[in-house]
Amino acid sequence: MPDVKLANVTKSYAKGRILAVDRVSLHVHDKEYFSLIGPSGCGKTTTLRVIAGLVEPDEGEVHIGDRLVTHLPPEDRDIGYVFQQYALFPNMDVWDNVTYGPTVKAWEEEKRERIGREMLQMVRLYDRADAVPQELSGGMMQRVALSRALAAGAELLLLDEPLGALDAKIRNELRYEIRHLVKDLGLTAIHVTHDQAEAMAISDRIAVMRKGRIIQVGTPHELYMNPKEIFIANFIGESNFLEGTVVSLKGDVATVRLRRDLQVNSKKTEVSQKNERIVLAVRPEAFEMAKGKKKLVNGLSGAIEKVRFEGTDIRYEIRLANDDSIVVVRPSLRGGWLKEADEVTVGFPPEKSRLFLYPPKGLRAELELE
Amino acid sequence: MQLLGNRRFITKVVIVVVLASLGIFVLLPTFYLVSFTLTRWPEVYADVFANPLIGDANWQQILRYLTFSLRLSLIAVILDFLFGIPLAYFLARKQFFGKSLLEDIITLSLVIPTSGFGVATLLTWTGVSGLGALIGRGIVEASFVIPLINVPLLMLLVHVALTFPYIVRTLQGKLEDLEPAFEEASRTLGASAFTTFRKVIFPLSLPALFSGGVLAFARSLGETGATMVVAGIHTTAPMAIVRWVSEFKLATASFLGFLLIITATIAILLVDFLLRRDGGFKTLGFSMTPRIGDTILKLEKAFSGKVRWLKDFVSLAVVAVVVILPIIIVLISVGAYWSVDPDTGKIQGSVLYQLFGPSNYFATLMKATLASIFVAVIATYIAACIAIPSVYLIKRYRNGRILRYLLRIPLIVPSSALGLSVLLLWGPSGLNLGTPGIWLIILTHIVFSVPVVMEPTIAAYEGLNLLRYEGVARTLGATPYDAIETVSLPMLKRGILAGVILSFTRSLGETGATFLVMGSDVTVPPLVVNMVESLAFSAALFASAFLIALSLVLLLLFRIVARR
Ligand SMILES: Nc1ncnc2c1ncn2[C@@H]1O[C@H](COP(=O)(O)OP(=O)(O)OP(=O)(O)O)[C@@H](O)[C@H]1O
Ligand SMILES: [Mg+2]
Repeated sequence: MPDVKLANVTKSYAKGRILAVDRVSLHVHDKEYFSLIGPSGCGKTTTLRVIAGLVEPDEGEVHIGDRLVTHLPPEDRDIGYVFQQYALFPNMDVWDNVTYGPTVKAWEEEKRERIGREMLQMVRLYDRADAVPQELSGGMMQRVALSRALAAGAELLLLDEPLGALDAKIRNELRYEIRHLVKDLGLTAIHVTHDQAEAMAISDRIAVMRKGRIIQVGTPHELYMNPKEIFIANFIGESNFLEGTVVSLKGDVATVRLRRDLQVNSKKTEVSQKNERIVLAVRPEAFEMAKGKKKLVNGLSGAIEKVRFEGTDIRYEIRLANDDSIVVVRPSLRGGWLKEADEVTVGFPPEKSRLFLYPPKGLRAELELE
Repeated sequence: MQLLGNRRFITKVVIVVVLASLGIFVLLPTFYLVSFTLTRWPEVYADVFANPLIGDANWQQILRYLTFSLRLSLIAVILDFLFGIPLAYFLARKQFFGKSLLEDIITLSLVIPTSGFGVATLLTWTGVSGLGALIGRGIVEASFVIPLINVPLLMLLVHVALTFPYIVRTLQGKLEDLEPAFEEASRTLGASAFTTFRKVIFPLSLPALFSGGVLAFARSLGETGATMVVAGIHTTAPMAIVRWVSEFKLATASFLGFLLIITATIAILLVDFLLRRDGGFKTLGFSMTPRIGDTILKLEKAFSGKVRWLKDFVSLAVVAVVVILPIIIVLISVGAYWSVDPDTGKIQGSVLYQLFGPSNYFATLMKATLASIFVAVIATYIAACIAIPSVYLIKRYRNGRILRYLLRIPLIVPSSALGLSVLLLWGPSGLNLGTPGIWLIILTHIVFSVPVVMEPTIAAYEGLNLLRYEGVARTLGATPYDAIETVSLPMLKRGILAGVILSFTRSLGETGATFLVMGSDVTVPPLVVNMVESLAFSAALFASAFLIALSLVLLLLFRIVARR
């Protein structure tokens, strides 16, 4: 049963100058749809390639099922791997691509035929079996790549940005299709992407990576509701960050003083002491907003500087009375649109905000994507 | 408007001039031998097939030399493939200390003067100061023939050494361009390294393998310099041409040259046809019964495991033995033979005696060196002047492809056939523009130098998407000529430089054609052959070491310039 365990896996490049993967430990459960996300260059692909055996780690161990595979070549690991650019063999037609695994594993003719047919029917491309890859559209190539990886009979599917080269609409459709296939066939999948929305939509659990390290693992819900770090609060979804200090702590509530003596209440998290320097994180969609002076929970007054219509949502950029800037997002069909220069009051429920310790290197450095 | 009209006119003039010089200096000499043979057919026929004295004995000899040469070249190319492919793969996929040195060594045997290399090989295998030092006598006789394949060992060694770089270079380039994802995909699908090679990498690099193979085959078919030195009692087709011309049997010689040109051209056409048909993918994809298929898969699997390093080791060892060892030995042996022949103990066999003694080879060598360098400089310069604008013609005009195609033929025509062609065309028995001598040598060297400069330049051009950059320059206000001068030429510099160096060293080492057109203006490579034939072995040794050192210095210079 293919669960995957990484223990302290480390891989560096350029004689140790680039630490691509830094002591990563991870347990992906059997039949789980697991995603690995993080900004570009954080080591997602390298981690996946270590699991596949395409890269040998400098240190650490990899288990697939109950086999220790750290030094096993990829062909002996029983995996399916989908590459970002598909890597369909240009010298073979669709059929030969899909039956490549069964062929090189010397399966019987009859079984080979059956699997090839099933796999192609599954991705609705059986009638294109004679086509060469160059004749297919991006979405079709993606489906061929997927069925080729599945045809080899692996129960562990590794996907590296499988939808990265497709346009937005097809990407949205295919991501659910992939999840369905994986679930129907009872596979374990590890899916690498830098698109957090994609990961949120289809994963059972997600690991967030940064600079070669895994900084949090959890369900999409956990990551959204309880990000462990400022970076995650910003990377999964979006957050406004307001600097301040803790004035008092009472039960579950922390009272915080923002710049220019504005006071708000928040849920007590991480922070333990009075006078501690903190960052208050509030998601744009957590705010309520009203025109003019209104009484709201944690109400703060400000003025709208910019309005952006984004289709589903409207984004307001608001300058608060204390000169901090925030972004507020409202669904566009909820009515009550406001204009630039309108005076507004915004507020948020304390339990929908989070406090983080002020990062030692400063807020900007902490949010950097590299 | 006036200006625009002028520009068009200038463009036309340039095109006409370039085409004319290509025609006169390159294509005409290449194909003249063919038309010569056909227009003088009765004469040729009488000499070859119906000689009043010897009947068709000449024809019998031609047949014998030709089949011998073809067999030699074919076996050499097969060996090239056998260890050139792993070597190319090794170089393309591995990073290791000393990689660029290894690449230089491989290039070295492309630029090394062949007759000098012949001497080195001869010494290594038959001399007492070569490998023979280990057992006190030469390892083999110069004329030793390998049983079964019936090919002289030393000839095969030099032909492999001088031709395998074509396979390695073309394949390595192709493999480096090939995305590693294809191999990785194959591995993740369960194929072993060898199976991946057979089913994915090999078919995808087939075009490169073919073109490398054609170049290697053609070079082997035409190789003269090294072959003459190690020949012993054997004669190849290009050697026969040289000999017959010196015996004034022009009709027989030209018929053999004609056959060589036709053979090489057919080889190119055939390969081109195969590749055009289906990209070469399926050409070798014969079907197998499942049982055999499975056995092969199992074997490949077994080999992919433990003995994988063996193929790298073997191919590196071959390079060491056929290329590096002879060069080192020839350089060292100059010292051993300096003041006395270590073999016989006689002073007459020493380098010093032969160079400065009664025969005074030193003066001849210095004169030949000057002649060689003069020829190489002038021929390369003129070739570059013709080749660079030709690249533009080829890439900018729709029919340029045909031109490129035609210009590849001088690359594969055996050089002694080329020399004969030039001799018959420009020489006393043709248009009588010059007697054999330095100018005729230059005219001959231009013929192959133009394509030699052109190929790397075209390769650089194709890698760069120059049209786009020139387009950018022109949106910024540059005229087409400014764009070429300020954008493309500097970007092409590396390609041009590589071509110029290749052409220069090739001219410096050319033997087969030079023999036929040099008259009394001897260059170094034929001089080396002459020394060997007149048994002035130590002088030949010195001259070879000298030539090799010269080309090493050139290569070094090239690297320094290319680094910039
Ligand atoms: N073969 C290699 N040689 C040298 N450095 C490498 C190599 N492969 C990856 N790296 C470096 O390792 C780091 C992690 O790379 P990796 O490809 O794993 O990132 P990633 O998270 O997949 O990024 P992306 O989202 O851009 O694909 C990067 O800094 C990258 O430059
Ligand atoms: Mg990546």
